[in-house]
Amino acid sequence: MSLQEIVIQQLFNGLLLGSFYGLVALGYSMVYGIIKLLNFAHADIYMVGGFCSLTILTFFGNTFIGNRWLGIVISMLITMIIVGLLGVIIERVAYKPLRNAPRLSLLITALGVSMILYNSVMVITSGEYRAYKTGLGYEGFSIGSVFVTHTQAILIVAAVALMFVLHLFITRTMYGKAMRAISMDLDCCRLMGVNVNKIIALTFFVGSMLAASAGMMAGVYYGSLHFFMGFVIGIKAFTSAVIGGIGVIPGAMLGGLLLGLLESFGTQIPFIGSEWKDVFSFSILILILIFKPTGLLGKKESERM
Amino acid sequence: MAKRLWILALVVVLIASGVFGCSKPAPPSGGGDQQPESSEAPQFDGEILVGIMVPVTGSEATYGQDMENAIRIAADEINAAGGVLGKELKFTLGDDGCDPQMCTAAASKLVSSEVVAVLGGYCSGATIPALKIYGDAKVPFVILAANSTQLIDENPGWAFMINSPGYHQADAAADCFEKLNVSKLALVHQGDGFSENLAELTREEWQGRGHEVVAYDVVNKGEQDFSSLVTKIRSSGAEGVYWTAYHADGAQLIKQLRQGGYTGEIVVADGSSSIQLLEIAGAAGEGVYCTSPPVVEFLPAAQQFISAYNKKYNQQPGPYAGLSYDGTYLLADAIERAGSTDPDAIRDALAATDNFKTLSGTIKFTPENVLEESNFIIIKGEGGKWVLVE
Repeated sequence: MSLQEIVIQQLFNGLLLGSFYGLVALGYSMVYGIIKLLNFAHADIYMVGGFCSLTILTFFGNTFIGNRWLGIVISMLITMIIVGLLGVIIERVAYKPLRNAPRLSLLITALGVSMILYNSVMVITSGEYRAYKTGLGYEGFSIGSVFVTHTQAILIVAAVALMFVLHLFITRTMYGKAMRAISMDLDCCRLMGVNVNKIIALTFFVGSMLAASAGMMAGVYYGSLHFFMGFVIGIKAFTSAVIGGIGVIPGAMLGGLLLGLLESFGTQIPFIGSEWKDVFSFSILILILIFKPTGLLGKKESERM
Repeated sequence: MAKRLWILALVVVLIASGVFGCSKPAPPSGGGDQQPESSEAPQFDGEILVGIMVPVTGSEATYGQDMENAIRIAADEINAAGGVLGKELKFTLGDDGCDPQMCTAAASKLVSSEVVAVLGGYCSGATIPALKIYGDAKVPFVILAANSTQLIDENPGWAFMINSPGYHQADAAADCFEKLNVSKLALVHQGDGFSENLAELTREEWQGRGHEVVAYDVVNKGEQDFSSLVTKIRSSGAEGVYWTAYHADGAQLIKQLRQGGYTGEIVVADGSSSIQLLEIAGAAGEGVYCTSPPVVEFLPAAQQFISAYNKKYNQQPGPYAGLSYDGTYLLADAIERAGSTDPDAIRDALAATDNFKTLSGTIKFTPENVLEESNFIIIKGEGGKWVLVE
């Protein structure tokens, strides 16, 4: 492979990885933006999304909706709704009663929810890896020795499309406007007659939906699921959200893509390799935060306490 | 109300995870120390008492139990054929619990029961302390499964290892790649002691044979995306990839190598010999080779043993059953050749073992009492199953 080909291939690898990070990071960012909660359970929602879609795909996929793209798209929609509702339930049960409690209590609760989610899945799957069979092959197109499978290309397009739809939802609808308003001042919104509880639930619904779709895409792409698969991606997505400016929607996408690209190029750089790529990418991220503590797209925020 | 419900749900989940998490399948209760069966048993001129030292309690109990079962199958066959030196082969069990302290107690117990020899050794850590005890008491010890190189260093000369030590695997891997006409090799490990050590040994072996290692890399545990590593391997021009770690991430790597357009050979190490590797890797697992320890299910010569095991214990033999069966036959043969139960004679007979045929290969010892030839086998993924490659 020539240098250009390596660069293009790694660019592509980084984009795909980055869009996974971005999709998960959006959920962190949205929830933080609206109720100032670091929702640690979000990474496990991603994992649950993967398993949920696998169950749906194996239940229905092989029988009447076909097990290729049509089946995948239908199970993805069902998964997104189910897991979105799971997110709403978690908010109702675990976070809503603590809405006026100190932020730290809420944080601990989020950790607890995370543990319950992954431990339950561990018990159900007896801690084993599950193969995610989709019947998709490795056909693809190659330009020189740059090789991209159809699956990879479709997943990137799908991720970008989801982000775009979310962007429209946030900027063009009343619900999106309400979300943005709540993130500015919750009490004021309540006084203005916004149904705050409903909008917060909606935020959890949308965030969980995106994480679930990322979980399913990861299953389709990587071909296996594990109860602890959310952990690493959770940390990375959270980092992406912070880098882009937590609470800022386009920031999460930007942060995700940036982290993905840094990682894939880090692997290729001599003396860094895959062993040190995380050190490499996180060092750059620390530098960014030193010079721009609010993240790339974050705005300075005045303390409202 | 919501809060109370929440606590209730929490309690239920905790209890549930406690219950399910602990419900491991109980090891089958093996026979007692002696087995008073075989109605038409031949007439014996006394008995030969052999110690079995394996873990039958603790975390490794299933493996130890499996080894004991295999030893007893071999002994039944030997006794049915007239025993050893006309005497009946009998056993007494010492449970090492895969724990160094329990191991010391078990070894002392076996020595004081005046056993002629000892079979066993599963956990290396719980075998090392026994070496000196058996050495001092002059008891020949056939180590069936444990294979740490530390055993070689600590051996006072009375122990014989019939499982290949780790460095044999590097040989086996290098042989395999040479057969596949690979000369540029990429090594990928997972950063843990075992897989990194194997990758290091393979690198030395490969470079020692005058070939080139073009990539030496690591996959971080828990990560899912190896695409950038795959690109790196492709750009290094590697013709073969050797994955030295475990099946879950191995399957991922194989898949992503194929997805990323890599067309060279892939070989995985013993930690990946699980059938789950092929299940997860799917179509990408076809044609992948694996350097595996001699597990009976892959050995055509072991079919009779497998069915005997199935019949007697109603389950499949485990990973070290074959070696345990082999070790019992080796010991019986050595006692027969020694012509008596004198410990020095048995030890010399074991050391003089010359290409003794077993299920998992031929046994011949180096002066350090380690297998001269690697007993690793090469298996290949074909149609979603591992099959033995000649």
